[in-house]
Amino acid sequence: MTPVHFSFTAAFTLGLMGLAFHRTHLLSALICLEGMMLSLFIALSLWTLQLEATAFSTAPMLLLAFSACEASAGLALLVATARTHGTDRLQNLNLLQC
Amino acid sequence: MHTTTLAMNTSLLMIFALLIFPLLTSLSPTPLHKTWAVTHVKTAVKMAFLVSLLPLFIFLNEGAETIISTWHWMNTLVFDINLSFKFDHYSIIFTPIALYVTWSILEFAFWYMHADPNINRFFKYLLLFLIAMITLVTANNMFQLFIGWEGVGIMSFLLIGWWYGRADANTAALQAVIYNRVGDIGLILSMAWFMMNTNSWEIHQMFINSQNLDLTLPLMGLILAATGKSAQFGLHPWLPSAMEGPTPVSALLHSSTMVVAGIFLLIRLHPLMENNQMALTTCLCLGALTTLFTATCALTQNDIKKIVAFSTSSQLGLMMVTIGLNQPQLAFLHICTHAFFKAMLFLCSGSIIHSLNNEQDIRKMGGMHNLAPLTSSCLTIGSLALTGTPFLAGFFSKDAIIEAMNTSHLNAWALVLTLLATSFTAVYSLRVVFFVSMGFPRFNTSSPINENNPLIINPLKRLAWGSIIAGLLITLNLLPSKTPIMTMPPLLKLSALLVSILGLLLALELASLTSKTFKALPNLPLHSFSNMLGFYPSIIHRLTPKLNLILGQKIATQMVDQTWFEKIGPKGVSSINLPMIITTNDVQKGMIKTYLTLFFLTLIMALFISII
Repeated sequence: MTPVHFSFTAAFTLGLMGLAFHRTHLLSALICLEGMMLSLFIALSLWTLQLEATAFSTAPMLLLAFSACEASAGLALLVATARTHGTDRLQNLNLLQC
Repeated sequence: MHTTTLAMNTSLLMIFALLIFPLLTSLSPTPLHKTWAVTHVKTAVKMAFLVSLLPLFIFLNEGAETIISTWHWMNTLVFDINLSFKFDHYSIIFTPIALYVTWSILEFAFWYMHADPNINRFFKYLLLFLIAMITLVTANNMFQLFIGWEGVGIMSFLLIGWWYGRADANTAALQAVIYNRVGDIGLILSMAWFMMNTNSWEIHQMFINSQNLDLTLPLMGLILAATGKSAQFGLHPWLPSAMEGPTPVSALLHSSTMVVAGIFLLIRLHPLMENNQMALTTCLCLGALTTLFTATCALTQNDIKKIVAFSTSSQLGLMMVTIGLNQPQLAFLHICTHAFFKAMLFLCSGSIIHSLNNEQDIRKMGGMHNLAPLTSSCLTIGSLALTGTPFLAGFFSKDAIIEAMNTSHLNAWALVLTLLATSFTAVYSLRVVFFVSMGFPRFNTSSPINENNPLIINPLKRLAWGSIIAGLLITLNLLPSKTPIMTMPPLLKLSALLVSILGLLLALELASLTSKTFKALPNLPLHSFSNMLGFYPSIIHRLTPKLNLILGQKIATQMVDQTWFEKIGPKGVSSINLPMIITTNDVQKGMIKTYLTLFFLTLIMALFISII
């Protein structure tokens, strides 16, 4: 595949790995999620540019708006966790484990 | 304007003005002075009585009747309601009688309720009742009659529950309202029918427009209304319970005026009933059943006021029988004469009760003939008038009714029941007189028996005069609209007198047995039946509410709440989903990192397999 395709695919995969294998902090999972969003933004923009499909030119903006919402939701959860548990370390988030 | 018309209309409207004026003075913010009851209310009623004599004499002299339509009250496109007063021979004769009786009762009530702190309010209620009753009696249209009807019902409730701290009084007032309401269903049904089919609530128009219609349904409604208001069998228990109210209330409402409102309604609307055989038979049989049943119940009661209440109920049954015989005028005559002696009986009972320090049980009275001679004499006069002793007031109405029954083509069962009830009347009247006036006193000697107060003596004397001569006066002056049958076999003619004398002798024999004991443990099923009022209140007052409450429970609690909300509706959904949720929840252990890792590895494997 072309280098550009490889770059955002690799970025997406690395972010996914980071989300799946995050060990200590909840914040690192959220940052990986942001990285995945960023790679998807680049992918959508390249779609419009390379395939000359002007109908999709607004899609990246939409993705950005929704990712902002999602990021703020994630941050709110982080703050709530920090308030109740005192830290965002994942060892503390084991209440639902049986 | 013609003198007669002017005099009649003016005096008739003056009656209303005189009666309403004390009510208006009571609306002022300054509290009423202690003798307002006497200075304003009693004087107003006395004045109204004297004023009402003028139309009575004009009517007796010229036969003038009048209808006053004053005000077009409200209307729809095709129906209008006016304020209209009808003063025909029924209202012209009844109004002075009602006012005369009320005047005496108010004078008595001032003595009886003297120690009551709310005596002014009591008199205001009585005056309000009187105005409602006069409205009912003089109404020319059903709407005004209904206003009077409801007015007397509500005032009855307020007055029966006068001593509202007593639970029995509240129950009795509630009974009165509920039983009256059941009767009101019939009245409203009839009013709706008349509104739809005869296009009017004016009585004349109703008569004219309904000549060719089948009137069974509205007449049944009217009979139901009379059953409720006049305590006929089926809706009768409220009347003896209403004795919880003070004695003036019993004398005014539940003997002379309010309870006759149902009969008066049937008398007013009698032209509708003349040709409907079913309605007439219903009245006849219902009245006969009522008069015998309540006379039976009166035989074994021990409370003097309850005996008189049952006696009232029995006489109301007799009036209903008379209407069933197609003789409204005789029924009206009986209403008028009955007012006098029944009110007097209640006033005598009130005087005796107060003298004996609120003792109402006749088994604890006795010898009053020597201790309160005027009261017991009036009691005797009233009882004699009630049983139809020749040429006292009751004779003219009662004997005429029994004669009409004997010579009419009617139900033999109704005739037998009525004659039996007439003899029972003599029995319980003698029982009252025997236990109260005769013999030796059976009460403590500590209560001062003093009847020398003119507030007691004058009403009793006035009503005694009325009980003696009223029958004669009214019969002499009223022309009968139906020809009475003048010739009949002597046994038929004397039947009322014979059964009364028979009852009297039987009662004397039974009374003489009170000082001898035949059996130590007598077997008393009939006595229990009569004493417990035929078990009617015991059964109906428990069964009907229980059935209604069970129905309510089944519909409201079980059907709606339990079934619809909890089993089928929202809670049912949640109760079905909850086990599934719990099962699913047990499966998941919340190990997010493991899940995400597995997801990632599966994704990589899928990619590799698709590449290779």
